[in-house]
Amino acid sequence: MKRGFLQSRLLTVLFWLAMSALTLLPVWWMFLVSVRSRADLFGKPSFLLDVSAMTWDNYAAVLANPTFQKYMTNSLIVATSNAVLVSVLALLAAYAMSRFALAGKDNLFFWVLTNRMAPPAVFLLPLFLMFTGIKLGDWSLFDTRLGLILLYCVFNLPFAFWLLQGIVDAIPRELDEAAYVDGASTFTVLTTVIFPLARPGLAVTGILTWVFAWNEYLFASTLTSVEARTITTGLAEFVTVTGTNWGQLAAVAMLTLAPAALVLALVQRHIVAGLTFGAVKG
Amino acid sequence: MAQKTGFLPIKTNTFDRIFISVVLFVAISLLWMRFLEPFAPLWVSTLLSVVLGQWIIRKG
Amino acid sequence: MRNTTTGWLLIAPTLFILFVTGLLPFLYVLVVGFFDWNTFAQNPEPQFSGVNNFRALVFDAAFLKSLWLTFKFTAFVLVSQLVIGFFLAKMLLRDMPLKGLFRTIHTLPLMIAPIAVGATWRLMTVPGLGPIPHWMQQWFDVKYILSRFPDQAFATVVAMDIWHWTPLVTLTLMAGLSNLPEEPLEQARIDGASEWRIFWDITLPFLKPVVLTTVFIRLMDALRTVDEVWMLTGGGPGAETRFIGLHIWRVVFPKTDYGYGSAMSLITLYLTIVMCWLLYVAMTGMKEKTR
Repeated sequence: MKRGFLQSRLLTVLFWLAMSALTLLPVWWMFLVSVRSRADLFGKPSFLLDVSAMTWDNYAAVLANPTFQKYMTNSLIVATSNAVLVSVLALLAAYAMSRFALAGKDNLFFWVLTNRMAPPAVFLLPLFLMFTGIKLGDWSLFDTRLGLILLYCVFNLPFAFWLLQGIVDAIPRELDEAAYVDGASTFTVLTTVIFPLARPGLAVTGILTWVFAWNEYLFASTLTSVEARTITTGLAEFVTVTGTNWGQLAAVAMLTLAPAALVLALVQRHIVAGLTFGAVKG
Repeated sequence: MAQKTGFLPIKTNTFDRIFISVVLFVAISLLWMRFLEPFAPLWVSTLLSVVLGQWIIRKG
Repeated sequence: MRNTTTGWLLIAPTLFILFVTGLLPFLYVLVVGFFDWNTFAQNPEPQFSGVNNFRALVFDAAFLKSLWLTFKFTAFVLVSQLVIGFFLAKMLLRDMPLKGLFRTIHTLPLMIAPIAVGATWRLMTVPGLGPIPHWMQQWFDVKYILSRFPDQAFATVVAMDIWHWTPLVTLTLMAGLSNLPEEPLEQARIDGASEWRIFWDITLPFLKPVVLTTVFIRLMDALRTVDEVWMLTGGGPGAETRFIGLHIWRVVFPKTDYGYGSAMSLITLYLTIVMCWLLYVAMTGMKEKTR
């Protein structure tokens, strides 16, 4: 039976094995390039890993490079600070939205969400002018990590806000009402009732916003020049500035995508809801 | 902001109709600059758009 | 209900930051778009110039070409991702061992930084190093050089986007498909309807909201694609893959012609909003009318 075979489990598994190979192929190839010596790169492409000829020189060279170390540190600082900042602010905002009768809150909610939809290229120009134009003495936001940390809120804050809104809504009101009756302040309620219960949601929020901030390129490349450059801009420089050191380029790219790949399994279930703003539950 | 059905193919409230008018205003102006400005000055298109906008906001 | 002032205080920092990073730039661009402002020009001070920027823009061939390319790209990726995504969603819903693992692997590209996606594909396509040019030569006897042939560059950019974003479509459609009601499907099968008819008359109408949402999200993302294309082709050869975001960022921005760049940003934003709004109307408005 032809139909029986087409519907069979064997074929389905084979199909998905092939699909997985197709998905992983480019990444695997990049890994191979990153662990091969320059001499082994060219010629007939082989997808087999020759363990004996494997070299970590590219990674060593990249990690020993002070410029790259700075980029990496910047990325870590910016992504982590942004994720923490965004999670805290969004938790407060979500709590306010959920528990207080704020005037016009549906419109407010909608406006907050639209911030994530805006095409970043469109706002590069005004942001650049604002970042370079607003000065305190010699200091401006341009080329500072603080600038990036604040700016990344524009896409991460709406996302975190939306995600945490659902989580705070799900915490029974009776719990914080009971605490208020016992004489607790709003701050106490937030730290002793809401925060512990929202922790799993906060973890997902933190991880995803961290990844989004880590992955960002366009703003970082335009609004920094030397001091606050991030790893993504470093990766782009490898092509435009240093030319064709493919091994090191691959090593940097591997380091860039590693964190996201590592947390993939943890947040996998939330990615779809996250990327579609909950319009579709994954 | 009452929902109503006019000649537009969808239900709209006042805000929707203002939005549609603005969108059309921009589109008409841009197309006018591209194709019709040698024959008629831009204020003609502005006038047309305003009239069209009025009509949409009232009757849409 | 507690004092609303406390509520406003709690939400104030969020609103303030979004005002500064989101609304203020928009207002800024809205104003500057009507000014003549070039810091390297003879008169570096902004001067009101009415609609002159826009008047120049509608005749700017490079800009119009870039818009056209963006729409072409968007149409290509949307259609192919929907078709492939639907098929993959069907396949992923089947009962099989290792399903969780396959799903996770399929999700991987969604999490990778776009710039790293570009780097990955660049390594696959570099002549002499990457496997794709090698295979093209060996199997099809085709010379594959991204920096020379516009069609190949465009096709590769589309392929990269399909690799990167199809998983999102797969997963959303899968969510939609798994909520499909069993009964009408069973009934139709008993009545002897063909699979094709079932697809058109039952599955598709039911999936419509999910499909439209997916298209909405993908449309917005496709219209602002910059990073991975920049990394893969740099917008070339010539300007053949220079999409609108790339055009604003790489061509207009460095010229420090702020007024003109703002006007261009405004038109891009306008077109994005109009397209999204049309889709939104298709999603909600039509339904209300027929009710």
